[in-house]
Amino acid sequence: MDAVTETPAPLDSGEVRIDPLSPWPDTVEWKPVSHDLIWVELVRLAIWLVILMGALVVGWVLADHWLFGAGVGLVLLFGLWRAIVIGRAVRAWGYAERDRDLLVRHGLLVRRLSIVPYARMQFVDVTAGPLERSFDLATVQLHTAAAASDAKVPGLRPAEASRLRDRLTALGADRAEGL
Amino acid sequence: MTHEPSTTDQPAATDQPSTTEPPATSAAPVPPEPPETQGPPETQGPPVTGAEAPAEAVPPRQRLHPLSPLLNGARSLVVIVGAISLSQASSFGWERFAILLVVIAVGAVVFSLINWWNTGYHIVGRELRIHDGLIWRRTRAIPLERLQTVEVRRPLLAQLTGLAELRLEVVGGGKTEAPLAFLTVADAEALRERLVRLSGDVQTHDQLPFAGTPPAVESAESYPRNDLDLGFPLHTVRNADLVLSQVLTPQTLLLPLGVASVLVQFSFAGDFNPIAIFSTLAAVGGVMLAPARRVLNDWSFRLADVPISGEGRGLRMAYGLLETRNQTVPLHRLQAVTVTWPLLWRAKRWMRVRFSVAGVAGPGDGNEQQSDRLLPVGDAETGRRLTVLAMPGLDLAAVRVAGPPPRVRWLHPFAWSRMGVGLNRTVFTVTKGVLTRELVAVPYTRIQSVRVVQGPIQRRMRLATVHVDTVGGAGAEAPDRDVHEAWALAAALSARVHAAQAATM
Repeated sequence: MDAVTETPAPLDSGEVRIDPLSPWPDTVEWKPVSHDLIWVELVRLAIWLVILMGALVVGWVLADHWLFGAGVGLVLLFGLWRAIVIGRAVRAWGYAERDRDLLVRHGLLVRRLSIVPYARMQFVDVTAGPLERSFDLATVQLHTAAAASDAKVPGLRPAEASRLRDRLTALGADRAEGL
Repeated sequence: MTHEPSTTDQPAATDQPSTTEPPATSAAPVPPEPPETQGPPETQGPPVTGAEAPAEAVPPRQRLHPLSPLLNGARSLVVIVGAISLSQASSFGWERFAILLVVIAVGAVVFSLINWWNTGYHIVGRELRIHDGLIWRRTRAIPLERLQTVEVRRPLLAQLTGLAELRLEVVGGGKTEAPLAFLTVADAEALRERLVRLSGDVQTHDQLPFAGTPPAVESAESYPRNDLDLGFPLHTVRNADLVLSQVLTPQTLLLPLGVASVLVQFSFAGDFNPIAIFSTLAAVGGVMLAPARRVLNDWSFRLADVPISGEGRGLRMAYGLLETRNQTVPLHRLQAVTVTWPLLWRAKRWMRVRFSVAGVAGPGDGNEQQSDRLLPVGDAETGRRLTVLAMPGLDLAAVRVAGPPPRVRWLHPFAWSRMGVGLNRTVFTVTKGVLTRELVAVPYTRIQSVRVVQGPIQRRMRLATVHVDTVGGAGAEAPDRDVHEAWALAAALSARVHAAQAATM
């Protein structure tokens, strides 16, 4: 417990070398999600904004309190910022199929990367809501037995989504263990 | 999906499996099982057709013990009486209250009796089937390969009547999915042995090396034990240590201080009114509840090593004073082990070891009722010996952890020197905690996924957090590592997961 060895101790096995010029996740071949997802997200944002604004405006008219006005302003500001950021957020989504695991990364403010071995897969969901369908997109989600794992890839073309699903299930069928 | 072309395409409306003869599915559902299924192993598979028509030669259903409706009724009665507070009762009039109680009691017993009549269980092939329900009938089939733990519990009432409750844990339920309450102790023991043997992954339950080993537990205590222990005894926790360990908790140590302050107030006020004293006593009772419950729950804690099947091994824990529990966990079901060194135990160099299993809520839920102790209290040597046994490759004396970069000091001024990660041969270990030190160990074979998360502040400081997700419990988390190290750690972890996976195939 007490002997703390030098910092790169976890790398003793020599499997991974830290190369500061090309750090590891960038050397993986990331596939982007479809840029139509930007539109899906924008429409989704707009719907939310309309609902929130509607409620706030009704409140403002009825109660005539300055807080509601401030709320409207804040929501507008947030909407504007989000609309600007959405493009970058969608471009931040990426997934990579490696030999034995699926990598998914997303997020701008909080960046997340998930590594899920195919063998740990319990089931795969392909979902497409009305909004996604109208832009010809689908979402693939990989579920493991752990509730905390999140491996969700939105904004895939249906053909790509079903290809990914088939590949995941085929690879996961080899052996599912770890329980 | 692929309908046979012979039936002129009638899509899915009439499923007639008898005529179509599907080529791909190996287990044709219709033919009733081969007649010579006298219980033992070879049945393996064919799914039951129609849960209500057991036309096959399956072993007959067995009922629970006839006394169980009484016990269950008594159990629900306690709950109901607890719900009706005594103050209400006094406003009610005592005669009426007594009548109400009798009515409720009779109702509960009748209800339990009906339930009991309709409840049955049997082992079919490698499945345990439990039938229950009067109006909503339910047949639950539990594949024994999926069994996580088996526990024999004996609440106080059951101890008085010589009965026991058998609880099976499977993945996917927050609660126990299959409690069999109640059986006689002998039945519960026999059934448990059978289930545990069937749960192994090879069908070798005939050639078990251990057939009738007598219980080898040295029984020096006057404690009325249920002798369900077969197997090699590993460790017995001394009750004196257990009591002392619970005295060495903040609640107990601060208790005299609290009582003294209350007494001083009383003496200054000069009047001892009984209500105040009573409420003080109640508060004391509330504070002491957790340590007292731990003492009662973990009383006479014994740990044994049992063979499961083939080379499979399992751990068996037996403990409890009022309610005795006897739990069997196959070693390959352990998802994680958590070792805790509380501050006040440090003088004694004691530790507590808990485990998590899929399907059971893990440590950290604050639920004292959970059965998750591998060792309620033990010294360094014992802890080391047991953790090595429970999780091969985890040697507490040899665990080396690497700390985060020094700039993390600004985020965690006290804890940073204790935050460490270690990639051992077969397990991933994480340490944390200043006052109460903790070590979480997750074997590579049980890691479900690895995540690297980087928040905005962490990005400024070039840090990232690595999460390791497991099924039971909270998983392990290595917060605020250097970002390059975090990537490398994630890569190393996934590589080791694959290596461990390949090794077990």
